[in-house]
Amino acid sequence: MLSANEIRKVVAERTEHQKGTGKKVVDVREELDRLEDRGEVIVHRIRPANRPVPLTTLFGWTKQIPTDRLWHHKSCGQCGNIPGYPSSLLWLMNETGRTYLNEPHQTSCTAWNYHGTATSNPVALAAVAARNFHRAYETDHFPLIHCGTSFGDYKEMRKLLVENATVRTKVRDVLRKMGRDLVLPEEIVHYSEWVHAMAPEIVARKKHSLTGVVATVHEPCHYYKMVPEDAVYDDRVYAGQRPAVPSGILMELGATVADYSTWYDCCGFGFRHILSEREFSRSFANLRKIRPMVEEAHADVAITSDTGCVTTLDKSQWIGKTHGLPYMLPVLSDVQFAALALGAHPYKIAQVHWHSASAEALLTKMGIDWTSAKAEFREYLRSLKNGAAPELLHPAHGEIENYFAINKGQVLPEEVPAASRVPGATAPIVGGRSE
Amino acid sequence: MSIVAHLPRRVLSLTEEEAANPPAMELTGRRKATGPEHELAETIFAEFRQDPRHHEFVLGCLNCGECTTGCPAARFYDFSPREMLQIAATGDATTLWDAMQEKIWACCQCYTCNMRCRFGNDIAGIISVMRELSVVHGLESTRKTLAPFGRSLTLLMTVGTQVSSDMIQPDFFRDWGPFATGSDKVWDVSSDVMRKAIPSDVLQTTRSSWEVSVQTSLELFRIYEETGVLDMLRGLDPDLTEMLIDIIEERREEFQDARGRFAKEIAAMRGPVASFTG
Repeated sequence: MLSANEIRKVVAERTEHQKGTGKKVVDVREELDRLEDRGEVIVHRIRPANRPVPLTTLFGWTKQIPTDRLWHHKSCGQCGNIPGYPSSLLWLMNETGRTYLNEPHQTSCTAWNYHGTATSNPVALAAVAARNFHRAYETDHFPLIHCGTSFGDYKEMRKLLVENATVRTKVRDVLRKMGRDLVLPEEIVHYSEWVHAMAPEIVARKKHSLTGVVATVHEPCHYYKMVPEDAVYDDRVYAGQRPAVPSGILMELGATVADYSTWYDCCGFGFRHILSEREFSRSFANLRKIRPMVEEAHADVAITSDTGCVTTLDKSQWIGKTHGLPYMLPVLSDVQFAALALGAHPYKIAQVHWHSASAEALLTKMGIDWTSAKAEFREYLRSLKNGAAPELLHPAHGEIENYFAINKGQVLPEEVPAASRVPGATAPIVGGRSE
Repeated sequence: MSIVAHLPRRVLSLTEEEAANPPAMELTGRRKATGPEHELAETIFAEFRQDPRHHEFVLGCLNCGECTTGCPAARFYDFSPREMLQIAATGDATTLWDAMQEKIWACCQCYTCNMRCRFGNDIAGIISVMRELSVVHGLESTRKTLAPFGRSLTLLMTVGTQVSSDMIQPDFFRDWGPFATGSDKVWDVSSDVMRKAIPSDVLQTTRSSWEVSVQTSLELFRIYEETGVLDMLRGLDPDLTEMLIDIIEERREEFQDARGRFAKEIAAMRGPVASFTG
C-alpha cells in the first residue's frame, strides 16, 4: 500500500495534470468563494456558534471541524441494522453538551445504490446531496455526515458542482422547482472527525480503563480513498502516514492499537455483493480482515468508522465457523466503543445486541457489568411491550413533521447580519436538540 | 513441433454444422456481439468514449498491475481493474460489450485501485460509467444481475434509504446468524418493540432506515424524475417503475390532504415548506 507521502505525490501530480485541462481546481474551498461572489452558489459557512476545531488534512491544509449546532446526516445502513452506531453518537453529543437536529427531513446520499446498481447518475447524486445540504442550511445547523460512503460521495459531488457549470445549472434548476437553492458547505465533515476534534472532552469523561484492550482498526475505504486530499491526518497517529481517524480516539482513550498486514484492504462490502453475492463478502471479510486481526494482532475488538464496514466485518463472522474460521471478533464503531468507555448503557445506548459477534467478553475486559445491564434491558423491553413510553435522547417530533420539512423558527442564515453571527444569535436550545 | 499440432483438428477448424450455428462464445472465451447486439455494442462504445468522464478518468496506463494487486474482487473473481482500464483506454466495441456482461459487476467500488494508481486513473469511476450504460440500455445480463434489488430499489426511490430492519429476514440472511435477524427468538419481543428500544423517535421504524417525511420523499422523487433516473429504471424494469409511480401518487395525495389539515401552521411558515406543493 502506498504511504501517505506517496499518496500525497500521486494526488498532487494528478491535480497538476487535471489543472492542465482547465477544468479542475486544486482546493474547491477557494473556488467556492469565487462562485459565491458571482452569485452561483450559497456557501454554508462554519460560524462561531458551531465552535470549530482546526484539524489537518493529507496536504497539510487546515480543515475546520464544527463541534456544535450540527445537522445529523444519518446513514441508512447504520440506522437500518446497527442502530447503536447513531444512538452512541447522539449520546456522546448529549454528554458533551453539544446541540443538534436529528430530523425526518433527510434522505440518504443514495450512493450505496449507485455503487451497487448504477441506477443513478452524477446529476441525480449531486441534486440529492444539494437537497440535503439546503435542508441543513435552512435550519442553520451544519451537516455532519455519519457514513463513509456519504462522506466520499459528498466530497465528489461538491467537487463536481464546483468544477462543472453544466451540472451546477441543472442541479440548481431542479432545486428551485422545489423551492430550494444550491447550497454547498464550506467543509464536508465526517462524524469521526468530530470525534477526533472532541477527543479531549471525550477522554475527560472516561469511566472505564481500557488498559489491556487490544483494538485493530479497519480504515473505511471511502473515508480516505475518495478525494483523498480531504481526509484528516495527524502526526501523532502512525506518524501521519495513515488517516488519523478512527485510530486517534482509541489511542487517546488508552486502548492498544495493534497493526496487521492487511490494514489497507477493503472490508468486502462491495455495495452489490453484501446484498446479492455475500459469498464474496464473507470470504473476503473472514480471510483478509478478521483472520489477520485475530492471528497477527490478537485483537479483542475491531474498530471502524463506517456503516458497510461494521456490517460486513461483524455479520460475516457467524457463518465462518462452518469453514473453520470460528473467530467471532467483536466489531464496533469508534463511537460505540467510546460511549461504552464513558459509561453508556451497552444495550440501551450502544445497542450491542444487534451485532452478530458478541461484545460481551470485550465488555468484561472493559470492566462493564453487562449481565446486570442485560437483565435491565430485558425488563425494559418487557415494559415497552406492555406499552411504556420509550426513553429518548432528544425530544420526539410532532405529527406535522411526518409530512412537512417545517421551518422551526430558526433565523435563516441569509437573514443574519454578518456582525451578529455569534453564539446565541439563533433560536434557544432545548435539551439535546435546537428548537 | 508446435503445440498446435497436438490439438484435435476440430478445435482448429469448425465443422459445417458449427459454421452454420456459431457458438455464442469465441474460443478465447470472449462473448461475441452479433446482429442487433453488434449494433448496440457499437452504440454503447460510442457513447462510452464520448462521455465527458472518460477523458477525466482515463489518464494513461503502464500496465504495472498495482491496481489489480490491491483489488479485493481480483482475489475471488475473473476480474482485473487493469484489464478494465485497458478496455476503457484502448478497447473496441466487442471487448467493452464482453466486459459489460459480467465483469464490471465484480468491482467492489472500494477505490483501492484509484489509491494505488501512479497515473491517478479513476478506475472505479470508469467502471461506474460502464455500469450506467448497461442500465441505460437495459442489457439482459444487467437485468439478471440486478433482479434481487427490487425491494431495496423500491425503498430507495420512495423514501431515499437503502435498507430497513424488516428487510433483514432470516430466510435471506441466514448466514448472519440469529442475533442479526431473530430478535423475537432471542429477546422474546417483536421487531417493532426492538426498534422502540432505540432512543430516537426517527429510528423507531421497521419499514425504513428512519422515518422520512412525505415532503422529503416527494422532493427526492422529483429529483429522480427531473434527472432521468426514473427513465433509466424504466428501461431496466418497467413494472417496478410503474409500481413506484403509483406509490408516489398515493403519497402526493396524502401530502395534499395534510396541507389541508395543517393549513394554518403552513401559512405561518417560510421557505420550501410553504411553496412545495408535491
